[in-house]
Amino acid sequence: MDFTLIVALVIALALIFDFTNGFHDTANAMATPIATGAMKPKVAVGVAAVLNLVGAFLSTEVAKTVSGGIIKEGDGGIQISPEMIFAGLIGAIVWNLITWLRGLPSSSSHALFGGLIGATIIGVGAQAVAFDVVLAKVILPALIAPITVGIVAFLATRLAYAITRRDPGKPDGRGGFRYAQIFSSSLVALSHGTNDAQKTMGVITLTLIAGGYQAVGSGPQFWVIACCALAIAIGTYTGGWRIILTMGRGLTEIKPAQGFAAETSTAATILASSHLGFALSTTQVASGSVIGSGLGRRGSTVRWGMAGQIALGWLLTLPASAIMGAFAAGLALLGPIGILLDIVIGTVVVYVLFQWSKRDRVSHDNLHDIDDAGHVVKIKKTPRKPSRKDRQKVAL
Amino acid sequence: MIDWSAFFVVAAAALVSSAIVVSLYSLGLRLLTTAGRIPDVEPAEFTGAITVLTPARAAKNAKRARKARKANPLTANQKRLAQYAGYLCFAVCGLIVLYGVYLIVPALHD
Repeated sequence: MDFTLIVALVIALALIFDFTNGFHDTANAMATPIATGAMKPKVAVGVAAVLNLVGAFLSTEVAKTVSGGIIKEGDGGIQISPEMIFAGLIGAIVWNLITWLRGLPSSSSHALFGGLIGATIIGVGAQAVAFDVVLAKVILPALIAPITVGIVAFLATRLAYAITRRDPGKPDGRGGFRYAQIFSSSLVALSHGTNDAQKTMGVITLTLIAGGYQAVGSGPQFWVIACCALAIAIGTYTGGWRIILTMGRGLTEIKPAQGFAAETSTAATILASSHLGFALSTTQVASGSVIGSGLGRRGSTVRWGMAGQIALGWLLTLPASAIMGAFAAGLALLGPIGILLDIVIGTVVVYVLFQWSKRDRVSHDNLHDIDDAGHVVKIKKTPRKPSRKDRQKVAL
Repeated sequence: MIDWSAFFVVAAAALVSSAIVVSLYSLGLRLLTTAGRIPDVEPAEFTGAITVLTPARAAKNAKRARKARKANPLTANQKRLAQYAGYLCFAVCGLIVLYGVYLIVPALHD
């Protein structure tokens, strides 16, 4: 197959993956402020999109170490071919869309790694995958991070309620946490931009280097940064409303104090971990902190069934996208016809998933009319729009 | 294998920093409330997580709030002090958030 064509295909797919990454992860930052009414849904995703766009330009640290040594590429290792990256991306995109359809917040990075691992196993062989690195850098952090951040968010929520607690009936001013939520969730969105857009930049740069279009060891070029930034921003603005619903309402009922505590814990954990070179999945950290804050407020309940489904989704993400990546890689090995088949099958699957999603549309305008995440069924229209008088009688 | 020392540093840093930010902001709200300047922030939109009270219940709450404000034992100066202390708490929170932005952008600290 023409080498330039396959490189162009990889870049196009990488940008599509970046888009799905963006809309999958809008919920990490914006589910809680939307749930507490700190920001209108459209405003929230707009803010997140702009911050992701800005964030993508701010740092290229992650892009330079994208594969994180998981696939032994480069000197002394095995060259991963653009066909394998292509197959891996197909696996990652399809898995991202399946989890989105189910409203599950799963890690896009795990999907990407899974797809690449599966493709590499088929294309090169299992010896090309550093399984010890996978265990240490992907699987163990995925188990530990949500629990740790859950504890942090639990304590933060307890603190927030303890400090603002007053005698019953006296106003406690907890509505003021809504202002704070705007800032804490923006911080999460910004750090997401600096992390996640990088992964796609890294993939594209890796392909360009492999194709000889770019010097070995050089960072991403400006047009790559700009395209990735734009793709993730558009994805974020599109908003994965199903996942926002799951994170904002499916796990627990979130009040402003909880939302602020959860977002602060998420932001602090992600900042600390990326600053100390210990990569964690934003999605898992954010979900863990929502559960932690749900446990932290007296009288609130955590829907453990939903939490279990999400955890199951996390466990499945790596193997499932690996299997799909491996399948795509198997076809790609057939040569140009295989690549074409990959594209056709991929397009059909994506089309079917989108048609499926139309059966129970979830978007910014019907977000609050939907009963329960996981069982996305439209129950009833809001009986009436609350009047201005009602708005002043809000219980917090 | 997993780098446990790095992991504990991350966990401790996250715990301490989020505890400080949340405590400071809560303290700021508490001080403003004590000063009688209750920060009422309306939700931008009514969502499933927000309970709208019945008018009777809301009126009762408002009456209690008025009573509590009247019964505020603080002098005017004390109130002002509490108010400014609250603003100070918010300002420190803002600085910590700016430090977070500083950490995000490598160009600033390399």
